[in-house]
Amino acid sequence: MKIINNLQSFLKDQDYYIDIFKDFLHVYDYLNLTTLTSTLIEIKLKEFNLIIEGDNLVIKSMDKKEILLKGLISSVRFVR
Amino acid sequence: MTSFLVVKIKTHDWAKTLLQLNKLDIDINNIKYNPDYLIFTLKEEDLKRVKKYLLSYEITIVDYLGPHKFKKNLRQNSLFIISLIFAFIMFNLLTHVIVKVNIIHESKEIREMLKDELASFGVTPLSFKKSYQEYEDIITKIKERHKDSIEWLEIDVDGMVINIRIEERIINDYPKTTGYCHIIATKSGIITNVLTTKGVALVKPNDYVKKGDILISGEIKLNEEIKNDVCAEGDVYAEVWYDVKTSFPLKYTKKTKTGKMRYNFMAKHYTEEYLILKSRLGQKTTEQKLIFKLFNWEFYLVKEYEIKETNATYTLAEAQERALTSIYQKFKISHPEFKIINEKVLQNNVKNDTLDIDMFIAGEEQIGQSINYNKKVSDNDDGENN
Repeated sequence: MKIINNLQSFLKDQDYYIDIFKDFLHVYDYLNLTTLTSTLIEIKLKEFNLIIEGDNLVIKSMDKKEILLKGLISSVRFVR
Repeated sequence: MTSFLVVKIKTHDWAKTLLQLNKLDIDINNIKYNPDYLIFTLKEEDLKRVKKYLLSYEITIVDYLGPHKFKKNLRQNSLFIISLIFAFIMFNLLTHVIVKVNIIHESKEIREMLKDELASFGVTPLSFKKSYQEYEDIITKIKERHKDSIEWLEIDVDGMVINIRIEERIINDYPKTTGYCHIIATKSGIITNVLTTKGVALVKPNDYVKKGDILISGEIKLNEEIKNDVCAEGDVYAEVWYDVKTSFPLKYTKKTKTGKMRYNFMAKHYTEEYLILKSRLGQKTTEQKLIFKLFNWEFYLVKEYEIKETNATYTLAEAQERALTSIYQKFKISHPEFKIINEKVLQNNVKNDTLDIDMFIAGEEQIGQSINYNKKVSDNDDGENN
C-alpha cells in the first residue's frame, strides 16, 4: 500500500487539476458543487469557481475530491 | 472489504438530488439518468446517511456488488453449492473406498487366514484405500508372519475392488525314517493284500494274523542270517471284525406343518441375522430365499411355517432301519478307510421304549503300523569290536 500511496502523491502533487476530454471533464480536488443543470455546471475550487457550459451535461461520478462530468461541453471558464 | 450497492432514487429533479448528495459528501459512481429516477452505485455504509437526510425520496436497492453480492449469490445458490460439495465428497469417498476384497486362492484356509491378516491392517470392505507404499509394507509384514505358508503375495487395486493374489509355499517335508522298524499288525484278521515298499513281507493274502504279529520285517535275511536292517515300509490290508452296540429311542417328537405361513424379511451381516418384521407364529420352521446382496449385507425373503409338535413312536422296523443308518454313519466317521464286506444284526431287544442293537461288521482295513526295534548285535560284530 505504501508504494501505491507514494506513487499517487508523486503523480498528484498539485492542489488541483482539471482534465478535459472529448465529452468528459474531470476535476480533482474540488470543494463542492454549487450549480447543476443540463446546460451549466458550477464547481467551487479553492481559489476560483469553474463554470462549465454545454448541452446534456450530467455527472457520471463524484466523490469527496473528484468529479467526472459528461456532456457536450461548449465552454469552461474560471471565475475568481 | 467495502461492499457497494446499486441504488435507485425516485426523482424528477436529478440535479437537485445530486447537489444534495454532493453536500452530504456521498461518493457516487456510474450514475444513470432517467426522467423519473436516478440509478447509481454507492458504498453500503453511505446508504444509512442517504436515507437519513433524503427522507422524502423513495430509495430502493437494485443490486449488490462486492462481497455482499458474493454472499447473496452464495445464499441464493446454497442448495446447488451444497449438492455440488456433497457430490464431490461422495465421489471422492467412493473412489477411495474398498467395496470388495477379493482373495484369489483355491484353499479356504489360506483365504480365511489372509482375510484375518488384512483385517488386522484395516484392509476390509468399506474401508479407505491405502497408498502403494502402505500396501507394500502390509505385504512385507504378512509375509514375515507367515514365512512357512506364503511364497508370494500381491495386492492389486482395481477400482473399488482389491484383488489379492497369493502363492502358497509348499514345503516337501517327507517323513524321515530313522532307525530300524517292523510293520506290525494293530488288529487280528485275515490278510487280504500286502504292499511292501521296503523290508521283507512275512505274510501273504489269506494268512490269519494276530494283533502284534510282524507283517513286514525290517531285517533282511539270507540263509537265516541277518544281512541288513532297514525301516520297513508298506501297507497291509486285512479283513477285520467289529462288534457294535447301540441304543435307539422308539419315542420321538413329530413336527408337522399346520398350514399357516407368514412372509418376513431378514438382513444378514456375516453370521448375525436380523428379522425385519416381528414373527407372530409360535413354533415355526423357515425357508429363506436370497433377494440381493449389498456390500457385506444379504437380504432374504423368509417364509415362516407354523409347526405343531406331537409325540410319536417308531415301529420296530423303522427304528431298526434308523438305528442301522446311524451306526453306519458313526462307523464311517470313526473308520473312514474301512470298506464293509459283511454285516449282521446279532441281537435286537426292546427295553424301556429303547431299541438295543448288537451288530457284527466285517470289512477291509489297513492294519500295519511301524514299530522301531534295536538292531541285533551278532557275535562276529562283537569280535571285531573287541
